[in-house]
Parts: sequence; C-alpha cells; structure tokens
Amino acid sequence: MRSRHVALFLAPSLLLMAAVFLVPLGQMAATSVDGAALSARAYEELAASTLFRRVLANTFEISLGSMLATLLLGYPIAYHLSRVPPARRAIYMVMVLLPFWTSILVKSFAFTVILGEQGIVNSLLRFAFGPTAALPLLFNRTGAIVGMVHYLLPFMVFPILVSLLAQGSDLHKAARVMGAGRTRIFLRVTLPLSLPGVLAGCVMTLVLSLGSFVTPELLGGRKDLMMANLVDFYTRVSLDWGVSSAIAVILLVLTGMLIVALARLPGEHKLI
Amino acid sequence: MADSYLHRSADGAAVSRRTAIKLGTSAAAIALAAPAVIIPGRARAADKLALISWGGGYRKAWEEAFVNPFVKETGIEVVIADTPDLAKVKAQVTSKNVEWDVFDCPGSMALAGAAEGFWEPLDKKIIDTSDVYTAFGADYLPYYMFAGGVGWDPKRHAPGKAPADFVQLFDAAKFPGRRGLRTRISETLDIALLGDGVAPDKLYPLDVERGFKALDKIKPHVKKWIAETPQTISLVQNNEIDFSYTYSGRVKAAQKDGVSIEFSWAQTINALNYLTVLKGSKRKDAAMRLIAFTLRPDRAAAFAELLGYTPTVNKALPLITPETRRWMPDMKNPKNVVMDDLWWQKNYTALQKRYSEWQLT
Repeated sequence: MRSRHVALFLAPSLLLMAAVFLVPLGQMAATSVDGAALSARAYEELAASTLFRRVLANTFEISLGSMLATLLLGYPIAYHLSRVPPARRAIYMVMVLLPFWTSILVKSFAFTVILGEQGIVNSLLRFAFGPTAALPLLFNRTGAIVGMVHYLLPFMVFPILVSLLAQGSDLHKAARVMGAGRTRIFLRVTLPLSLPGVLAGCVMTLVLSLGSFVTPELLGGRKDLMMANLVDFYTRVSLDWGVSSAIAVILLVLTGMLIVALARLPGEHKLI
Repeated sequence: MADSYLHRSADGAAVSRRTAIKLGTSAAAIALAAPAVIIPGRARAADKLALISWGGGYRKAWEEAFVNPFVKETGIEVVIADTPDLAKVKAQVTSKNVEWDVFDCPGSMALAGAAEGFWEPLDKKIIDTSDVYTAFGADYLPYYMFAGGVGWDPKRHAPGKAPADFVQLFDAAKFPGRRGLRTRISETLDIALLGDGVAPDKLYPLDVERGFKALDKIKPHVKKWIAETPQTISLVQNNEIDFSYTYSGRVKAAQKDGVSIEFSWAQTINALNYLTVLKGSKRKDAAMRLIAFTLRPDRAAAFAELLGYTPTVNKALPLITPETRRWMPDMKNPKNVVMDDLWWQKNYTALQKRYSEWQLT
C-alpha cells in the first residue's frame, strides 16, 4: 500500500527528470561517440592527452579537499545552529546563505583584499612576526579551496542541520538519565544519528565542486585548471562537441563511482 | 540516494513541523544556488532584429550610437541580448532554428564561425565597404579596433620605472616586478615574441618554439595567469601584481572610476572586432542594414567617443575629438602590431591546448 503511494507521489518528478535530464544526458553520450557512427575518436584523443589527465587529477584533488574542509567547518556551524533558539537560528541561517547573494567577481575582489600579499591576513602576520612573515594564500591551491569552501558551506550546513534537528530531545534526555556525559552523548548518539546528513552534505558539495569553473579561475593559480574549464574550451572555443561530451561522460562515470563508494562507507548508516 | 536520506529523517523520532521547515530551507538553498547556471538572454519577439552583444557600458554605447538612431530612421525594432557565444551559434545554425541575427564578436569567433560556415555572406548591395581600411572576409566585417598593452600603477612605479613596451615587459632583470599575463595563447604568444625582440613587421607567421622559450623565461615572474579580463585591472589596483597585460578601454574606464592605473602607448597589440549575420537569419536584410549603419562615419565616431575604440572607416577618424583620440593607438607607430586573425584561426586550438598544458607543468 505504502510503496504504491510513494510511487504515485514520485511519478511526476520522475517523469520530469526523464524528460529534461535523462534524454539530454543520452544525447550527450551519443554525441561523444559521434552518434550512430560509434566512433571512439573523442575518447582516443582524451586518452592520449596529458592535459586531460592532469586536469582530471586536479579536479578530484581540489573537489575532495574542498569537501573535507567544508565538512570540518560546516559540522560545528550546523551543530551550533541546532542548539540555539529558533528565532536566533533564523538570523544565523540567513548569514550562512549570504555567499549565495554575492557575485563571484565581487567575492574574488574581496578575497584578494583579505588573502592577498598586501591583504589583511598577511599584513597582520607581518605586523606580528616581522616583514618576512607572509603566506602565499592566493593564486594557488589554497586560494582555490578557500573560495570553493566559502561557496559550498551552505550545502553542507543545511543537510547536517536537518539531521540534527530530526533527533528527538527525548533521546538526549534518556542518555543523560543513563549517566552519559556531554562528550559521550555527542559521540554515541548525536554524531551517529547525523551521519546521513553528513553523507548527503558531502555528496552535494562534491558534485558541485567537481563542476566548478569560475572560482578556481579567479582565485587559483596556473596549476588549478579544472575539468569544467576544459569542457568550456572544447564546447565554445574549439567547437569539438564530441570531445566535450566525452569529458562529461567520463566525469559522470567517475563521479557516480565515487558517490557509490561514499554511500557504501562501512557503518550502520550506509545509504546503499 | 537523496530519497533514502529523506526517508530516514522522516522516519526519525521527531517528524515535526520544524523538520519540514528545515527540509524546505535546504531545498530553498538549492533553488537559490540555481541562478548560478546562467540562463542565456533570448530574443523572443519574432519580428524584431536580434543583436547579440556584450553587457554593461558597452551595451549602452551600442544603444546610443547605433541602435536608437537606427530604430528612429528605419522603424526596424531591435532587441539586444548578451552574450556572444559560438556554441549557441553552432546549436542554432546546425538545428536550423536560428533566433539570433547580428553577432558582435572578436576575431577568434568571427573566423572560427566563418570556417564552420555559420555566417551569411555580406550583402555588398546594402553594405558599402569601400572606406574600410582593414582587410576582411566575405562574411565578417571589422567595425572597430581595440588595443592591448602594458598597464601599471603610476603611484608605485614612476614613468621609466615601469616597462613601456613588450621587450621591457619580458625583461625581468631591468624591470623587476610581479607580472600578470593571460591564459589565452593568442595575444600572449604575440607579446612573448615581440618581448623576445622579434621585429613587429616580421611577427607573422609566429615562431611558436621561440615564443614558448620566451614564455619559459618569464614564467617565474608571472604571479597570476589571468582568465577573467576585469582582473587585469583589479590585481594592479590591489597591489597583487605590478605590471599587467591589459586593454586601453578597460584602463580608460578604471581611470574614470578613480583607479590609479596607467596604460603605455609605446607599443600595443591591436585586434579587430567584427559583425556577422547568422546563416539562416530570418531577418537577413534588416541585419545587413544595421551593419551598414555602423559604418556611417558619424555613427562610428559617436561609438568611438563613448568607448575609445578606433573605427575601421577612414571618414570617421577626423570626426573624433582630441580627448578621445588620446585613447587610440597610433597606427603609424612601427612598433604597433595588428593581430592576424587568419593565422590564429588556423593555429589557435592546437596552440591553446599546448599552452594550457605548459601552464600546468
């Protein structure tokens, strides 16, 4: 009975996804093999390309690094948000969402003011530790990841917050009655129950950062070229849609495998 | 994946109104992020001429100098949409579903499109090209020229302390400082060769190997490889780089906004901007008439006044005020170079791949 209801409710969105997502995806896969010709030309070109291999490695390094950094920053924020009264939480949530309302060009200018050679951070460092104490924070991998984390944070905070808020306060009361301390309650009750939220957040941020484009271009260095930039080059400049489709297919397959691996992480809360 | 996650929280102990609101919030968060996927401006009205051009002050100049007087004179309505994108041209022309008419683009796009057969031949009965002083093809028309050169902050580097031409820009020993170069190989390879001492009149065909060797030498002194043009100004402004390869039009606008930045006229790379008409345009005649209109000396001069670019029709030049002329490259200066778009069209893709790879190593 219940599963039939679920299917009924899901049908409209599934139909929509099939029409606007699966069909174009199929067309893209077809373009990558030159349609009915089933040519492997695009894949052969990529297999022989050092540029493609390096950019692929870059993309996964930067994306996984950004995902982990976002998790480390996002979990405490979500935890704090779940502990404050709802009225104040609403204000904090708006603050978490602020990055969405700022254009990336403005943000990159602001990050230059903060992280640059003459920026706030390095000026403070020089003031505290002498004129040679400055860190390269911009136009390298650090700069790229800082920019990505700033953009990704809400996508990590909200799923974790949802799973924290879904935990009944009775559970914590029960644990306290049984004599557990705060640390133990966190480690044995709160954290394990929030893992689905953590996984959802990780998957969302990973998928978003794998497709990122402007942020690494503006804040990263010459070695931080990402896959989306390469797709852009093949799509808009060299007009070789076979190769750009092939890149997209490869990225899709690798991302799919990575997400399945993430979801199958050992533990009680694995998702698949 | 996502739905088993939702299931879990819905099955949890506290399915409350609050949870539902939070779920709604995260959905809202995704919706808020969605505009990051840019939805292209579409020219919907079937009977209006669709012009694809760039936004901001550039668009205002187009309206003031060309579109508004054109509409007044001909009664043909014009819709302006952002942004020229060759991939969208390919999609329209190959699917024979052409919505765009007039396309405003740099040489790389005009010539790549010409090679793919994306443009209608120019109708010489409507467009009088007899006064155009640059070379052009049968299906793309250059209507102005812009200049790239060295930019720097005069507050930090007095005249003579900053490189003025490309030889000095590529001489890190005599002119120490952090440099900003572009991530595109066209223009960059040209200035690398000029910087290495190639005579401007012997620049083309480019000596690719020599150019990359010159780039190898300057690589350690380049702090930022710039993909987004606004950074060619903002990084000088923020004191993150000292010397930047930038454009006179950008410097002019930045100076107007009070930024301390100077542009060197000692040597410039000059490139042409083109107008084309999409193959299969439903309003072909009107499109040709708009292009013809941009070549009228008074209109071309008005456009130049607004943006500081050089018109390609001789008769427009005397109509330009001396203040604006200060922002135009002196084409009699033997050190100045005009980009050979045809050479680049043949070599761009392969060289850009090589250049991107070179940057990663």
